Amino acid sequence: MAETARKPHIEVKDLHIHYGEVPAVRGVSFDVAPGEQLTLLGPSGCGKTTTLRAIAGLEQPSAGDIRIAGAPVYSSASRVNIPAEKRGLSMVFQSYAIWPHMTVFENVAYGLRVRRESAAQIAEKVDRALDMVQMRPYRDRGASQLSGGQQQRVALARAFVFQPSVLLFDEPLSNLDAKLRADMRIELRELQHRLGITSVYVTHDLEEALAMSDRIIVMRDGLIEQIGSPFDIYNHPRNAFVADFVGSANLIRGWHRADLDEDGLIALEGPGGTVYGMAHGRPVGDALTFSVRTVHFSLSVQKPMSERNVWPVCVERSVFQGDFTQMNVAWGDQRLTIRGTMEPLPEGSDAWLTVDPKRVVLLEE
Amino acid sequence: MRIPRLSFSAPAIAGALVAVIAGLLVLYPVAYLLQAALNVGDPEARPPTEYGFENFAGLLNYPQIILNTLTVSVAAAAMALVFGFLMAWILTRANVPGRRFFEQAMVVPYYLTPLLGALAWSLLGTPESGFLNQVYRALGGSDYLININSAYGIAWVMALFEGSVAFVMIGAVMKSMDPALEEASQVMGASRWRTMLRVTLPLVLPGVLGAAVFVFAEMLGSFAAALVLGLPDRYYVVTTAIYQLTQQYPPKIPLAAAMGTSLFVVMFVTLFIYRRIITAGSYVTITGKAFRPRVNDVGRLRWLLLSVCVFYLVCSVVLPLLTLLYASIQKISTAFPAASNFTTEHFYKAFTMNAATTALGNSLWLGFWTATLGVTLMGLISWIIYRSRLPGSNIIEYIVMFPQSVPRLIFAFGMMWAWLIFPIPIYGTLWLLLIAYLTVFLPLGVRTISGVMLQIDKSLEECAQMCGAGWGYRIRTVTVPLLWPGLIAAWLLLFVASIRELGASILLMGPHSKVITPSIVESWFASSTELTAAMALIQTLVVAIAVSILLAVTRRATAHITD
Repeated sequence: MAETARKPHIEVKDLHIHYGEVPAVRGVSFDVAPGEQLTLLGPSGCGKTTTLRAIAGLEQPSAGDIRIAGAPVYSSASRVNIPAEKRGLSMVFQSYAIWPHMTVFENVAYGLRVRRESAAQIAEKVDRALDMVQMRPYRDRGASQLSGGQQQRVALARAFVFQPSVLLFDEPLSNLDAKLRADMRIELRELQHRLGITSVYVTHDLEEALAMSDRIIVMRDGLIEQIGSPFDIYNHPRNAFVADFVGSANLIRGWHRADLDEDGLIALEGPGGTVYGMAHGRPVGDALTFSVRTVHFSLSVQKPMSERNVWPVCVERSVFQGDFTQMNVAWGDQRLTIRGTMEPLPEGSDAWLTVDPKRVVLLEE
Repeated sequence: MRIPRLSFSAPAIAGALVAVIAGLLVLYPVAYLLQAALNVGDPEARPPTEYGFENFAGLLNYPQIILNTLTVSVAAAAMALVFGFLMAWILTRANVPGRRFFEQAMVVPYYLTPLLGALAWSLLGTPESGFLNQVYRALGGSDYLININSAYGIAWVMALFEGSVAFVMIGAVMKSMDPALEEASQVMGASRWRTMLRVTLPLVLPGVLGAAVFVFAEMLGSFAAALVLGLPDRYYVVTTAIYQLTQQYPPKIPLAAAMGTSLFVVMFVTLFIYRRIITAGSYVTITGKAFRPRVNDVGRLRWLLLSVCVFYLVCSVVLPLLTLLYASIQKISTAFPAASNFTTEHFYKAFTMNAATTALGNSLWLGFWTATLGVTLMGLISWIIYRSRLPGSNIIEYIVMFPQSVPRLIFAFGMMWAWLIFPIPIYGTLWLLLIAYLTVFLPLGVRTISGVMLQIDKSLEECAQMCGAGWGYRIRTVTVPLLWPGLIAAWLLLFVASIRELGASILLMGPHSKVITPSIVESWFASSTELTAAMALIQTLVVAIAVSILLAVTRRATAHITD
């Protein structure tokens, strides 16, 4: 991986956080480059929100270091803990946290008033921020009269209006309905690029993470499972957890057939035949697990031309789901799931299953 | 750049300060109560010269008081439960006309106070001169119809005026029960009776049992009714006995302290049992989710049920108020009206007599400052307990809620004893009463404010913090404005509670710091019945005005929250 020449904007080192006796984060380290959009992805309870809140200063860690722009904001060793309001960060909350007793203008102006800017300056900056989120016409509305999407926009404007050095997002889109969420995702991404602010984004939604981020950190049980670009995380999951959590995958377990390895490919003897896949530099033992995304398989009535990774299978179930068709096939004594845009094959019919060896990824145990 | 240390932030300092104040207020008097209870040396010597448990052993010399207390408490709790259960069932589950009205009217007896109830029922039901007995004799009866000065008379008044908590608790259980549970039983083919017996009853039973234990504990600590109705016949329960022991000459302080300590230990254990029942016994009924209760069509029976409601309201509201009004406008109160007997002099006197106006003025002053200081202190405490996540905040919660399980009379006793030797001479002044009120109303205020605080999303404050606002700025611009309806409600509740306070005030007020409620009691025993009735009505009016403002404010506030 190429090293960035510039110093990282946020550095988190060996972070531990406990809730009473219960460890929520158990030793997490990562950096965020200036202007980078980093996403913490994971199931609920994995420690992603806790980590974000620790960066914000809303949660007190039990051990570790957090630096922002080189300066320590938390360090257990030198007993530093800068309160949240002095860290110069900003945050968009899951519940939007729009103050119901203020107007839209007052909500957005809050951070500027705290910084004692002049009234004229405040008015100008608030209007510009409201323009960016297309909320200028609602300037004098009471905040409680806004819809969810509008509240979201106000929360966003409020978060960046005072030019914080870092923007933190705590599942900001999870309370919106699916269609609005897809639109906001794109808007948020564009806005982030225009502002160029370093940001850390927390979500449990895979699509959101893939669409929004320069880099993704997948977390589980308070630990980091994998760090990488969206492409990397999706196509080269490190282990079974990441493969399964980031999209849907088939896991194929079997024995290494070193005698069949060729062309840089690893051969595995699986329940339904020999499978060729890529090791991506991961250690190759005797027992192996391959991951294949459900969309990377293809199913056909006629035998495909390729020589490797072609197997006869029997279609067990075939369900048309609109955007895609999901089919389950019997491959030896294992059942595989295939998704694609092909027409559904009749249940009980025979077919040929194939996958490009480059799409077959060796997992770490 | 100097790096701030981990813990010295503004909220931490404020938290420590408030914790120390709350701790002092609560624990200082309790410590002196215990000291007095364990004092077996010279009762005048302070600190005591000798410690021991003889005072507790001495309690066994008063078996009559223990028996009286148990008789009255059990009888009162039983009556309160029957009323509470009946009314709760009727008002949540039966299609009785005017249910909404009755449901709101159910809290009125509580605001009228047991003292007012006891005065009114004393006018109605003393064997010789009680109005009801006069009418009974005029109709040809001999002797008397009811004797309100008996154990059951006292229990009756307690049940009427302190029992509404049973209704509230049982009603809450019935409302939180998912009607689908009953409907499921009926869909499976069970009859309505079978459903009632096999589904409804087992589901509400833990709640009812909890209410029973809670109400019993309340009745153990009850004071006003037993004082007004029991004293004339020297019928003492534990609270009135403690009062008597401290007021007589020479006072028996160590014995009274031992009695008070024992009472609060018993109440503590009872409330502990209550909590166990509530947490362990309730099945799925209490989910915190409110359901629309299924209303049964009870047919003709509803007129009978309606008359039960009417009977309850007549006994606890209409009759007492009319009785006091009627007595207060007569020269000498009697059951039978006569034009020559009519007068307004008692009201005139109540408004001009120095003792009465000073007492009312003092009470208003105390009410104002208790409410104002209380809201500030208790708001801070609520914030520290539920928002700050400072270490030790749950200990503060325990300390602050402690006065709830101690009768106010006993708390005041500890306070009297504690502040008597305090270097700053506040004993016998209004300041002592102010401190006492702030202490005994801690649970009330903290619970009211934190109830609203917990409804406010925490991220609203955190967001202000992320915008760069410091602690004080945050509290001022976000927390307080959002909490405003809750703070006003708490202010008015504290004001009302102060104006009607008896148990603590009666021990702590001095000759130059009279307040209204104990003055009403004094007037009852020392001067005229009619004047007392007028004073009680005036006090009720003040409370009623405050309560109607309270209701208007909370209604506005809930409308604001739900839109």
